[in-house]
Amino acid sequence: MSHINRNFIIAYALLVALPVVGLIGVLKSGRTLTAPISVDGLWQLRADPIQLASLPCGRLLTNNPDTALAISQSGKNFTLSVSNGPKSTASGAIEGTTLKASLIPSSTSSAEAGCGDNRGLSLVATVDPKADPRTLVGVLSVNDCPSCASVAFHAVRQAPPTKKGSH
Amino acid sequence: MPDLFKLVLQLTVILAVCRIVGSLFRRIGQPRVVGEMFAGILLGPSLLGWMAPGLSAYLFPPASLGFLNALSQIGVVVFMFLVGLGINPKELKNHGHAAVLTSHVSITAPFVLAAFLALYLYPRLSDDSVSFTNFALFMGSAMSITAFPVLARILSERDLLGSRLGTIAIACAAVDDVTGWCILAYIVVLIRSAHNTTSIWLTIGGVVVFALVMIYGVSRLLGGMEVSFHKWGGLSENRLAFMLLLVFAAGLCTEWLGLHLLFGAFMMGAIMPKEPKFVQYVLDRFETITVTLLLPLFFAFTGLRTNIGLVKGAEMWMYCGLIILVATAGKLGGSMVASWLSGMPLRESAGLGTLMNTRGLMELVILNIGLDIKVISPALFSMMVLMALFTTFMTTPVLEMICPDRILRPELAKIPAKEASLPGSVIESTGGSAA
Repeated sequence: MSHINRNFIIAYALLVALPVVGLIGVLKSGRTLTAPISVDGLWQLRADPIQLASLPCGRLLTNNPDTALAISQSGKNFTLSVSNGPKSTASGAIEGTTLKASLIPSSTSSAEAGCGDNRGLSLVATVDPKADPRTLVGVLSVNDCPSCASVAFHAVRQAPPTKKGSH
Repeated sequence: MPDLFKLVLQLTVILAVCRIVGSLFRRIGQPRVVGEMFAGILLGPSLLGWMAPGLSAYLFPPASLGFLNALSQIGVVVFMFLVGLGINPKELKNHGHAAVLTSHVSITAPFVLAAFLALYLYPRLSDDSVSFTNFALFMGSAMSITAFPVLARILSERDLLGSRLGTIAIACAAVDDVTGWCILAYIVVLIRSAHNTTSIWLTIGGVVVFALVMIYGVSRLLGGMEVSFHKWGGLSENRLAFMLLLVFAAGLCTEWLGLHLLFGAFMMGAIMPKEPKFVQYVLDRFETITVTLLLPLFFAFTGLRTNIGLVKGAEMWMYCGLIILVATAGKLGGSMVASWLSGMPLRESAGLGTLMNTRGLMELVILNIGLDIKVISPALFSMMVLMALFTTFMTTPVLEMICPDRILRPELAKIPAKEASLPGSVIESTGGSAA
C-alpha cells in the first residue's frame, strides 16, 4: 500500500467513518428525548353559545357555528387563530399537557367582538394525549375582568397532522 | 377558480420587488439570487405583513396562495431538472483522493454536528408527532446541502471555474447535492410511509425499480436526443416538449411512489447526456422563463411562509445563532480541514470551505419540503431560512477576504486551457440559471 493511500485511508477513517459511528450513537441516545405534546392543527370548538355570547369578547368565538381554532405550533410555543371569526391574534405556550394562550382582537375587530380597550380572552386548557383524535378541555375567561364568569369549552382536533414517523 | 386579477397582481408585485432587490444586491457584489431570496422575505409576514398588514392581506390573502404555490412548484420542478442537468458525476473522478475526502467530509461534518444540535433543539422546537430520528436526519441533510448553482455562479463571476479551487468545489458540491437528496428521499419515505397504507418496502422497491429504469432505459432514449441534436444542430419543438413531458412524468412517478415531485425531476436532469453543447442548448431553452418568472414566485412563497416574528426573545435568537454557527462550523470547517489535510494550501482550503458553505436556493427547496411534511416547525423553518440567507450572503465577501483574486490568478494560469474550459462550459450556464 502506497504512502498516499495509507494516509488517505487514515484520514477517511478519522474524518468520515468515525463521525458516522458518532451519528449512530447520537440517533440512539436521542430516542430517549421527549418533545412537547403536539397540538398543531385545526380544533373544532364546543362551548355553550349562550354563555359565550354573554361573555365580553365572547363574540370572538361565536360568530359562526363552525368556529375552529387553528393552532400553529413551534415547540413549546404556538400561535392561535380563530377561523370564521373576527380577526384576532393569539400566542401561547405549552407546559406539559397544559396550554395557556391569550386571544386579542385586532384593533378593527375589537368592537365587533364586543371587547373593550386592551381586552381579550384568556384560554387555559389541558390536552388529553391518549385520546385519538386529541381533545382539549379548558376554560375561556376575560382578561383583566375578575367579575366576569368563565366559560368551559371542549375541543377536538379535526384533522390531526399526519403521523410523522414513530420513535 | 383563481381570482385572475389577484394572481396577475401578485405576479407583478413579486417580479418587480425581486428584480429591484436583486439589482440592489448585485450592486453590493452579491449574486442576484441572494437579493431575490431576500425580496421574498420582504413580501412576507416578516416585513410587509408586519408593517402594512392591510396591504399584505389584500395582496396575499391565504385563499389565493394555493395558486401561487402551484406555479412556484412547477418552477422548482423545472429548476431541479436544470440542477440535475448541470451535475456531472464523472467530474469527481478527475480530482482523486482530495476531492473524495473533501466531499465526503463536507457532508458528514455538518450532518453529525446537526445531529448533535438536534439533541438540544428537539425538546425545544419540535413536538411529539415527529420522531427524534426523523428530526435529526432532516436537520443533517438540510445543513449538509450546498447550493450548487449559486456556487457555480459565484465562481463564474470571479472567473474561477477553471481553477483548482473552482473545479474541486464544483465536484464536491455535486456529490453533496446528490447525497443530500438521497438522504432527504429516505426521510420523506420514512415519514410518508408512517401514515400511508403502502408498505415502506414497496416504496423502496418502487424507487429502486424507478432508478434502474431511468438509468438504463430512459437515459438511452435521451442519448438518441443528443444524436439528433448533433445531426440537426438543434432539437425540434416536439422533442423539447417530449423532454419536458419526461421531466413531469418522472416527477409524477416519484410523487406517486411516496417521495416528492422534485426527486424525479432532479434524477431526470442527472441522467441527461452531459455533452457541454447539448447541455447548454437545453439550458438556453428552459432557463429564461424558469429563472425570470417562476423562481421569484418560489422565493415569494417561501417568504410568505417565513415569519421572523416567530423568532422572538433572546432564547429563540440564541437558537438561531446556534444553528448558523453549527451550519458554518460543519460545512466551512469540515471542508477546510479535509482539503487542507489532502494537501491544499491553507488559504485555498479556507476558500473551498467558504464556497461549500453556500446554501442558497437548494436549502430553501429542502426547507419547504420539511415544512410541508411537518418535520420542522414554522419557527425552526424561519431560523433555517435565516441561516440559508446568512451563509449564502457571507460567501462572496469572505471569499474575497481570504482568497483575493490576485492569489488565485497565478494558480489559474498554470491550468491547461482545455482542462479549465471543460467543466466551466457546463456549469456556468446552470449557475447563471439560478442567479
